[in-house]
Amino acid sequence: MSVDLSNVRNIGISAHIDSGKTTLTERILFYTDRIHAIHDVRGKDGVGAKMDSMELERERGITIQSAATYCNWKGNAINIIDTPGHVDFTVEVERALRVLDGAVLILCSVGGVQSQSITVNRQMDRYNVPRISFINKCDRTGANPERVTGQLQDKLGLNAHMLQIPIGLESDLDGVVDLVAMKALYFDGENGETIREEEIPADLKDAADEKREELLDAVSMFSDELMEAMLEETEITTDMVKAAVRAGTLALEFSPVFIGSAYKNKAVQPLLDAVEYYLPCPTDVENIGLDLEKGEEEFAVSNDSEDPLIMLAFKLEDGRYGQLTYVRTYQGTLNKGDTIFNTRTGKKVKVGRLVRMHSDEMEEIDSCGAGDIVALFGVDCASGDTFTDGKITCSMSSMHIPEPVISLAVIPSDNKAQVNMSKALNRFTKEDPTFKTFVDHETGETIISGMGELHLEVYIERMKREYNAEVEVGAPQVAYRETISQRADFNYTHKKQTGGSGQYGRVAGYMEPLTEGEYEFEDKIVGGSIPREFISSCDKGFKKSLEKGTLCGSPVTGVRCVINDGAFHAVDSSDVAFQLAAVGAFKEGYMKAKPAIMEPIMKVAVEGPSEFQGAVMGSINQRRGMIIGTTEEGNYTVVEAEVPLSEMFGYSTTLRSLTQGKAEFTMEFSSFKPVPKSISEELVKKYQAEKK
Amino acid sequence: MGKEDLVSSNPLRALGLEKEDGTDGRRVGLVMARAGLGKTAILVQIAMDSMLRDNKVLHVAIGEGVDKTRIWYDDILGLMNEEQKIDDFQQVVDEIMQNRMIMTFKENSFSAATLEERMEDLAQQGVFKADCLVIDGFDFTDTDSASALGELKNFMEKNGLKMIWFSALCHRDDDRVSVNGIPAPCHEVDEVFDTVLLISPEENDMKLKTLKCSAACSVDAGKSLLLDPATMLIKRA
Repeated sequence: MSVDLSNVRNIGISAHIDSGKTTLTERILFYTDRIHAIHDVRGKDGVGAKMDSMELERERGITIQSAATYCNWKGNAINIIDTPGHVDFTVEVERALRVLDGAVLILCSVGGVQSQSITVNRQMDRYNVPRISFINKCDRTGANPERVTGQLQDKLGLNAHMLQIPIGLESDLDGVVDLVAMKALYFDGENGETIREEEIPADLKDAADEKREELLDAVSMFSDELMEAMLEETEITTDMVKAAVRAGTLALEFSPVFIGSAYKNKAVQPLLDAVEYYLPCPTDVENIGLDLEKGEEEFAVSNDSEDPLIMLAFKLEDGRYGQLTYVRTYQGTLNKGDTIFNTRTGKKVKVGRLVRMHSDEMEEIDSCGAGDIVALFGVDCASGDTFTDGKITCSMSSMHIPEPVISLAVIPSDNKAQVNMSKALNRFTKEDPTFKTFVDHETGETIISGMGELHLEVYIERMKREYNAEVEVGAPQVAYRETISQRADFNYTHKKQTGGSGQYGRVAGYMEPLTEGEYEFEDKIVGGSIPREFISSCDKGFKKSLEKGTLCGSPVTGVRCVINDGAFHAVDSSDVAFQLAAVGAFKEGYMKAKPAIMEPIMKVAVEGPSEFQGAVMGSINQRRGMIIGTTEEGNYTVVEAEVPLSEMFGYSTTLRSLTQGKAEFTMEFSSFKPVPKSISEELVKKYQAEKK
Repeated sequence: MGKEDLVSSNPLRALGLEKEDGTDGRRVGLVMARAGLGKTAILVQIAMDSMLRDNKVLHVAIGEGVDKTRIWYDDILGLMNEEQKIDDFQQVVDEIMQNRMIMTFKENSFSAATLEERMEDLAQQGVFKADCLVIDGFDFTDTDSASALGELKNFMEKNGLKMIWFSALCHRDDDRVSVNGIPAPCHEVDEVFDTVLLISPEENDMKLKTLKCSAACSVDAGKSLLLDPATMLIKRA
């Protein structure tokens, strides 16, 4: 079944903590007949809202997974994809933003633009996502949608204008005036499901005229027709205004603002209309793929169902029938029974079942085209994998996954927990490529590593709650790296003669720093001083040496090993002998190559009232941080700095006490940099002591 | 090429900038150009030269973000490295970036008083004590600009700043000039500046004319340095 793409909207809903995102989504699902009763987030009925599937998300007030839901509104199919806002979930954010075409930014009419709003807005800017804003909670004391619109302009730099004004505010909120149609809208019935359209109340007429004038001025530049009508003072139709707003929104030069109260069932339906009118359909936006044959060169996907297939798996779900994989098709057509290729693994998979997630049921479909979001059954893959039909080699998300910067040990409390923990870890590593796990052979402990403290905390909680795996957790450790600073030669002979067949291999060459990439191996052997079959053994030996450096036991990166000479023995040389020779050669070269310990440096942004700027900068300075700059906007200042991760543990508490809880910070990985000498010495000493 | 060579071979030596350490008095400089000709590129090179000479530079960008300003430095450093092959490039970058801080303001939230307050705060907290100040985007058309300049000059003397450099936008259709040939909108405040540079496109060249120069300057007033239009790096004529 093919779908008219102009009637499809793939949208994200983003908000600061407690802006009412869950309540709004609940109302959307109700008005679109997806659910038949409204349950409040913290309602007395104890059911909880539909989207609150993850208890943890509600507790921490952040979205952890990109949940996807689907609804129909006036003949339009709306796929709603949750976007995680926290930067620890970088890959998840990137994937969600790749999948959606437009977004709704929810703001609290009292709290206004808050730190998380700034973060998600920045992410949307980065991925060129057109957005509309919804100022929620207009029924609350202190509600001031006009002030919030001003903040959208000042703090987020959006060309934001209200398309509605409120009829009454706070506890008197009755409805809204639609400035495009110039009508008053009231929401009657138990759940606000009946919309009553009336003339604008007399006391609001002047204000509405004035605001409409402002709106027309702002959007007229996106439509010649509207501009002409304004200049010639001819009739301005609703369609003209809508077209201009849509053009401005799609060009990312205008951001329409809607208001209401999801909790009081006011003005949610006009927001759904706005999603249809003003947010792009899949063919309206340019999506970028990475050509793997040309070193991840960017190219625009065609959105054409006739072209070779490209689709991205963005969410996995464990179901009764195995793994359910949500995919977004960017171009081409997928038919039931087709064979598709996973560009990451190179594996072929046959698509047995193809379904579209309908209001409250799954619909089996035979095919899907560009722009569609559908689900596949029984396809084994990881989240973020790209599938093609084999005619094209590309990826929709970068294959470069950032290296984890923090790790901790998890110890299961008993055998049952051990089994459950394994299941959980297996699932999490599939879902999230930035989450890694391994067993430390020296201590026998399972180590998990990821992109930040919160990142790991969330997985530990999920392990406990979803998999019933009781685990004890060690203290978080910074994931250091080791690297070399200069070129060094090696020439090592591995010789062992203890009866029976012996071991012999000589490996000579040099190692040098590698500026881009983690490891490179080059074979410059001429004349067969090391036989061909043992070249890969040398590579294996070097790779093994990279796992643990000799300074502090951290992985070694940024090394290029070149072999140019060696020797073998007709009987005693073997794969193992050359692997061990390479390990010895690495050890020899490594100490001569001025090894250094590298630490993860985080890009930190602290946002708070300007009066605390000095204190904030002082606190960063004390943590070996380098302040890059400050941005002063009104009474708020954002301090940007680069700070070693090891110094950031417990920073939120420090910041809270320094700023009376008025400042917040976000942090994301920036780069690895050498640690200062004194700290390096300490780490080496500690490692040596642990080894004893 | 090492850090010292980068300093000694810098064409900016012709302006005697290294003598701003007090022996030659404190210095106020100005880079003028029409829109889009590279004022920021020049300011960044002046700032970078100062940072290479171990001075702490506060770069104030009015109406620009931190990231955009930072990219200017990264780009100019990258280009310098391409042309001059700097030894231990990353180490040099890490070292000199310790000498820079960027402070950005929205156009309407900048004032000399706020800047002074912020700088004093930074110094008191022991975070950053600037030796030099670079102000990009200062509004010389503002009626209060003369008094703001006066305030900044006083602040410079009080706090021992070695130099302040400004950028100013001039317009082709405004032909007002001072007696020293300084174009509007800075023609009425030209006595504030010791050195004034003008980026002037002439035929195939982008000339960096020295309209005004202090005693330490070895480029005769009226002669020019060049600006490579491809890289925006300053070259000797």
